[in-house]
Amino acid sequence: MNKFSGMFQSSSLTFCFSMVCAALCLVNSSASADDWGTIKGRFTFGGTPPASLEIKADKDIEVCGKHKLINEELVVGADKGIANVVIFVRDKNVKVHPDLAKTKSEKVILDNRDCRFHPHVAVLQTGQAFVLKNSDTVGHNSNVATIKNPASNNLIPSGGEVSQTLSSDEAIPAQVNCNIHPWMKAWLVVRPNPYATITAADGSFEIKNLPAGELELQLWHEKAGFIQEFTVGGKSEKVAKGRKKVTITPAGIDLGEMVISAGAFTK
Amino acid sequence: MTPLLKSPRGSDRHGFKKTHSWVVFCTLLGCFFVSSGCNKTPPASFRSNMIEATKQRLSQSQEKQVATVLLAMFGTPDNPVVLAETGLDLEKLTLCAGPVRSDIVGRKNGLYREHCAHCHGITGDAMGPTAAFLNPYPRDYRPGVFKFKSTERVEKPTHVDLVRILHNGIAGTSMPSFALLSETQIDALAEYVKYLSIRGETELSLMRAFFELDDDAKGILPETREFLIGEMLLPASEKWLAAKESQIPVPLISEGVDLVESIAKGKALFYGDKANCVKCHGVTGLGDGQANDYDDWNKPIVEIDKELRGTRERIKVTATASMSPEELAEHVALQDWVTKLSQVLDGDSLKPRTVVPRNLRHGVYRGGRRPLDLYYRIYAGINGAPMPAAKGAVSPEDIWHIVNYVRSLPYEFDGELGADRPLIARERF
Repeated sequence: MNKFSGMFQSSSLTFCFSMVCAALCLVNSSASADDWGTIKGRFTFGGTPPASLEIKADKDIEVCGKHKLINEELVVGADKGIANVVIFVRDKNVKVHPDLAKTKSEKVILDNRDCRFHPHVAVLQTGQAFVLKNSDTVGHNSNVATIKNPASNNLIPSGGEVSQTLSSDEAIPAQVNCNIHPWMKAWLVVRPNPYATITAADGSFEIKNLPAGELELQLWHEKAGFIQEFTVGGKSEKVAKGRKKVTITPAGIDLGEMVISAGAFTK
Repeated sequence: MTPLLKSPRGSDRHGFKKTHSWVVFCTLLGCFFVSSGCNKTPPASFRSNMIEATKQRLSQSQEKQVATVLLAMFGTPDNPVVLAETGLDLEKLTLCAGPVRSDIVGRKNGLYREHCAHCHGITGDAMGPTAAFLNPYPRDYRPGVFKFKSTERVEKPTHVDLVRILHNGIAGTSMPSFALLSETQIDALAEYVKYLSIRGETELSLMRAFFELDDDAKGILPETREFLIGEMLLPASEKWLAAKESQIPVPLISEGVDLVESIAKGKALFYGDKANCVKCHGVTGLGDGQANDYDDWNKPIVEIDKELRGTRERIKVTATASMSPEELAEHVALQDWVTKLSQVLDGDSLKPRTVVPRNLRHGVYRGGRRPLDLYYRIYAGINGAPMPAAKGAVSPEDIWHIVNYVRSLPYEFDGELGADRPLIARERF
């Protein structure tokens, strides 16, 4: 089936367009059932990016003091790309591409390594194994402040790991802290489907194999909360509650460079 | 007449002139005998959780929606209502609700307001009139999180756990023992705490639900039973009913373990990297290892405070003499937001305080001093506080060793720690 849709993509552009029209007219109807598309874009910082703040480890200095630790709340790259912007599909009942169904059996690891969390933002599906582990030589704890799932706070000794699954999706990314090393902070995105990602160091993101048709994305950043506004090509776009409607086409769509003004990062 | 006796509020309200103050006196006397009819104080009402409402940026009409749903589900502080789903006992609640009075058979009513409300607040929001003067602050029941209990970390306390706290009080805090109350009264108050907690948690869920509404819902919550009861009320109440099943298993320490040996093992664990107690409780056990963390009750207030400072900064940075009308409008909106945030911080919260790891040299244990209580604390950690659960990371046997060491700490020979040793009282004062 997948090959079939690929053929459409390459052979007949006009057919593609008609498919899109059909998708637009009959939202979630069977007409768009087997078409999938990619969405990509890039978030950049409007204004002078703040200098990255170094963190001075004041606990386990002999171990944590060796690593260069920076405040990761707002990481802006050389080309102003904003890392760790969370993008996920809001619709909970979205159709999942067969290739992605497998992802649910993969483990999501949030590692305590070099006295920071790897990754800074972990993306998890409900029911997927979530492993908190500790690769450091010092002990850590992981205080996971989920709202709909029971919050947890376990000690994780050096080399140890704690595995759990979360059954409810979270509307807002949940904070993860290490209380022993208070500078350590991460976020956990819990969604009922695999359609969630974060921006890379250059601010770019891509979500593949989305069902064609109209979808609603949610845009979030830890310092900005749900992103309310950005500028594309000099034109301001307001997205209340961080909700952006998009229409996925088999040809794929590019949201372009979305500039978030410096003033949005007040949290 | 001293100004204090004039009571302008009273005379204004009744419309009497000063010369007729004897009439006021008579009226008051009348009030004394006929308590109904002329009592003009407004009936007690529950306060909205303004911290959460602000965090969720709810409109006034949305706040009202939540209040209306809660009124239907839980009634008022004078007239509680219970739905069967909560499993709460209305008879017990009635004993606690309302003003302090005696009922027809001479039984004391209004127990919550007599014994609890001045600290915990009528709403159970820990905003009673005395709360600001206490350290630690009283418990806010609304998030449904309780520290001292015999159940797994994320679970609710059992009814027996609440009764124990009421009976013993909490050592080292302002929570007194209510051992002089009858068992029936303590039992009823424990039930009332659950009632306020379920109400508070339902309120939080309702306030958070607005965010997830689709745009075409126009900011109005569904009024279906499935949503209101199934998704909002049940998750908050079910866990109370299930608390009994989530008791922490307590395997006993192996027989024949020598206490001195166990204390030595516990000490190694305390300072070791596995249990890591030392990081917060400090090398001396004085609780001075970690001083800049907040508990879950203070965190939302700290967040709002942070947002207030961030927004103020933004206003300062973006203000220019030549602003376009749009920029000016945005500026005004931000100013309003600052006003709202400051109002909420001033009127609906107490100044946040960092959480203090327990000083283990005092031998004062809030959740109870039985070895079993310490076992629970170490095994499950302290819900709502930074103290993590040792469950899984530390074996039950090792937890018992830590318990033995911690229990020895107030009496530990003070020469052992060298330069880090705690000073004995004589030297400190």
